[in-house]
Amino acid sequence: MRNYTPLVTLLLIYAVMIAIGQGIQGMWQPIMLVIFYIAVGQALNIFLGMTGYVNFGYVALLGVGAYGMAVALGYYTDLGLIPALTLGFILAILLAFIVSMVVGGIALRLRGAYFAIATIGVNEGIKYLILGGKIWGGSSGIVLSGILRKAYGAETMRFLSTVFADAGLIVVAILSGIITMYILNSRLGYGLIALREDEDAAKVMGINVRRYKQIAFVISCILAGLIGATAWTLKLTYVFPQDVFAINYTVEAIVIVMLGGAGTLLGPVVGGLIYALLKYYLTIAFPGMQLLILAPLLIIVILLFPEGVVGYLAKAARGTRFEKFVR
Amino acid sequence: MAFVEQLISNLLYGAILGSVYGLATMGLSLIFGVLRIVNVGHGAFIMVGAFIAYWMFILYGIPPLISLFLAIAVGMAIGLAIYMLVVKRLVDAPELASLLAMFAIGIFIEEFAKQIWGADYVGYSWEIGGVSMLFTEVPFTKLLAFASSIVIAAVVYVWFRKTKIGKAVRAVVEDREGATTCGIDVNRIYALSFSLGIGLTVLSGVLVTLFTPVGINVYMGGEYTLKAFVIAVLGGLASPWGAFYAGFIFGLIENGSYTLLGLIPGVEPFGLTRFLSSVVLMLVLLVKPTGLLGGE
Amino acid sequence: MLKNVGGENVSKSKWLLVAILVVSTALILGCAQQQQPTTPAPSGEGKVETLYFGAPISLSGKFAEEGKASLEGMKIAAKWINENGGIKVGDVTYKIEIKAYDDESKKENVQSLIERLATVDKVKFILAPYSSGLTLAAAPIAEKYQVLLNSHGGASDYIFEQGYYYVVQTLSPASRYQTGFLDMVKAKDPNAKRLALVYEDGEFSRAVHEAAREYAKQLGFEIVYEKTYPAGATDLSPILNELKAANPDVLIGGGHFADGQLLAKQLAELKIDLKAISILVAPTFTSFYEALGNKAEGIAGPAQWEVGVKYSPEAAEKLGIEWYGPTQEEFLSAYKEAMGEEPPYQAAEAAAAVLSYAKAIEKAQSLDPAKVREAMNDLEFMSIYGVWKIDPETGKQIGHEMVIIQWQNGEKKIVWPESAANAEPCYPMPTWDEKEGGATCGS
Repeated sequence: MRNYTPLVTLLLIYAVMIAIGQGIQGMWQPIMLVIFYIAVGQALNIFLGMTGYVNFGYVALLGVGAYGMAVALGYYTDLGLIPALTLGFILAILLAFIVSMVVGGIALRLRGAYFAIATIGVNEGIKYLILGGKIWGGSSGIVLSGILRKAYGAETMRFLSTVFADAGLIVVAILSGIITMYILNSRLGYGLIALREDEDAAKVMGINVRRYKQIAFVISCILAGLIGATAWTLKLTYVFPQDVFAINYTVEAIVIVMLGGAGTLLGPVVGGLIYALLKYYLTIAFPGMQLLILAPLLIIVILLFPEGVVGYLAKAARGTRFEKFVR
Repeated sequence: MAFVEQLISNLLYGAILGSVYGLATMGLSLIFGVLRIVNVGHGAFIMVGAFIAYWMFILYGIPPLISLFLAIAVGMAIGLAIYMLVVKRLVDAPELASLLAMFAIGIFIEEFAKQIWGADYVGYSWEIGGVSMLFTEVPFTKLLAFASSIVIAAVVYVWFRKTKIGKAVRAVVEDREGATTCGIDVNRIYALSFSLGIGLTVLSGVLVTLFTPVGINVYMGGEYTLKAFVIAVLGGLASPWGAFYAGFIFGLIENGSYTLLGLIPGVEPFGLTRFLSSVVLMLVLLVKPTGLLGGE
Repeated sequence: MLKNVGGENVSKSKWLLVAILVVSTALILGCAQQQQPTTPAPSGEGKVETLYFGAPISLSGKFAEEGKASLEGMKIAAKWINENGGIKVGDVTYKIEIKAYDDESKKENVQSLIERLATVDKVKFILAPYSSGLTLAAAPIAEKYQVLLNSHGGASDYIFEQGYYYVVQTLSPASRYQTGFLDMVKAKDPNAKRLALVYEDGEFSRAVHEAAREYAKQLGFEIVYEKTYPAGATDLSPILNELKAANPDVLIGGGHFADGQLLAKQLAELKIDLKAISILVAPTFTSFYEALGNKAEGIAGPAQWEVGVKYSPEAAEKLGIEWYGPTQEEFLSAYKEAMGEEPPYQAAEAAAAVLSYAKAIEKAQSLDPAKVREAMNDLEFMSIYGVWKIDPETGKQIGHEMVIIQWQNGEKKIVWPESAANAEPCYPMPTWDEKEGGATCGS
């Protein structure tokens, strides 16, 4: 049975968030912060949630995506704005695709936590290849705002780094949601969930486990690359290796997925909302103390909902008329 | 000639560094092996050990070698408390729930430490001289770090092999259900292993400062968490002594390859050593997916 | 999943946890509510009003130490302004208050906080976050809302080459950090030609040392060795063994705190004797000497400011420029009272940024950021931090001069430039063997 109704809930949440961001002063950046975290969670969820495999090298994909866009805008500025931007998206996707194919090919042969921790090496490897090999400016990174301003004018640059970057990220976030929904309803999704529950059994049932995992991995990684290209390169207008290959983003993404509920459509949305808003308001209320307060709150949420908030809600909604809308 | 001399010096330092890395990974592997918990807060416990060594030395002049005992005691107490309060309730929850909990606990420890110790970068000087060996100078503190790492790793090894409870822990690593049917109280083994794992990690923090007695800071752990993860996989993840050997190899690669990479013009060889160790990890996994000593 | 644990127990403890969660959330929301700032009432005759300066500053994460010092510096400057008549614009007297948020040293947070400051808190003057990266992240949002961004911790030159009109700089740019030290070595010993560079591979230290390398070549130094190490390295021996073989006279390097301490420590362990060493950032903090003991003797480092610099109302008068802000004694005692230690330079540069806003607002007689920015173009004044003057076009700091500090006999002394110095440079510094025997600079 194909069920796309949870998408209604998803789009409704985005609509409300965008309305709040546009309607209330000073809420746009916080909303974008929430959407960034949701997007990061949503893209990771496609792999982690469906297969139960943790990709610790996840942030590396955001990083290569960010570099793809930065290289296009910084080194091929002369192509003109639209071609350079297009090239940026293509490079972001292409780099993410190559990395995910290579890493997937090697690491997906591993099971469970072996896979998880093996992928940490990916992030470190790429970071130090760029630093040590002095590729794309090495540690000096790529700083774009001056280049963009000179080539396309101050107005265009501002438009790119505020409106366009934000709109791009929202599109990527919603796209990730739609893809999640599609997978959940497809043969691929059923296969993945079967292998999440019991990989050996799934294999015996004739599911091509390796191929299924690889497909989910590549999709998740390409979306991550697009997030890096929009939320980092375009929005911040610079890329430094130490900044974009920072492992804490992977861990935050995992936290968001787990808070909300792995393998659900709405999980990363709820997780992102809880995590980002909690952090933001704690920062405002207790500058410097927010993490100390956040940590015990996270532990309490985990103890209460070990399967995530949406996982819990979906169970609670089972048999009620809300069932269709929560997944 | 200088090339060979430097290579030898680097390998020497690499071996010392590697032994500390190895010990700093054993706790991670133990906890994973027994409880299947990925301790992403690993580095925070190393930091606690480093501060124990620092404060004992600064306040009471106690040399770090004696702080080792205090560190393992404190570490085991913290470990037991975390197990009782949090981890126990998550043993049957999805695997990742405990990862999330360890993440939060790691943050909590760091931020709590920041409140009491501040965000300053500190260090201590325990001056006990040094010795010239193999074309370079090695301070005795580093040699002590090397020797104690090996001794501690050996003690852990013997404990696992020879004592009854050590054997019980190994039985749980091999087969949870099987161990239960054999009459082993799995919950007690969990509590013990978690507490011992954290204890070893805090203890390794003391050795870390023996090797690098400066730059001690509440956020210092992140770097060690990453290294420990890579080393753990290299060593087979569930095997504490595999981790120790892997740490050793890792140190040799990191420092030893520097001289060779330095022959490439126009690059930063030190950064590339890190790249190389990631490549080695990938290659090992390609050939032997369970790590160098996997299946041990 | 919890089915095999006692059912009743679980639900009980579960509700207890829910209760804790609800209570703490309510508490937090309550506090968040209280924090709603009061926007100043419309101005009247001879009124006193509060003017907020916004500060997204790192109180957690890797810049927590610098952030803490910076924030205290800002507070002291604001307090001084308030106690000395505030800022007068027309008939209104403005009292300054610093509205600070913790950005956790993370780029995403900076953007949200800048927007909050600009819109919710209606702040028009922002003190930039610490470090070049975070300042760069703040710039597009600051420009979007047309609020001023005054950089007191973002040194890199390229920030000011991007064409942001609303970004100005209070501290000396990265390209100037190591040049003074090279001048000093050349003046003391024209024969010390063999220079080595060993620094962290990060954007800031690379910018510093690439500029220093070019400057050194102009001065006639011979670059005998140049290598970087990755951030977070715990053993620098591979580089240092090579360095030893290169046989340099002088070393410049470092990057941040931990690696700076490590560099000095391992130079000592490997007994690499040099005539002079200058390390970024780390030596300017007292913890450097505490960590290294007398091995720190003779090690120098660039500082934006240092306790004992000779900037005073009298010095300002001599130069014919105006003095503004607390005197050094006032600043030191205020800082010591609050933090229990001597201020590092991060405190002084942040204080100077606050003072420069106050001065420029008074000069412009307006709270309009565009007018204040314009007033800054030909603003020149001296404070404890030294001269403040920017390049009108880029906003880069050109008035301020850095000093070189050196550890001598357990004390941080200013040794360069001669006009600011309170001690002679200790050159050549004692060898490691001499230090092992207890030697210090000046003994």
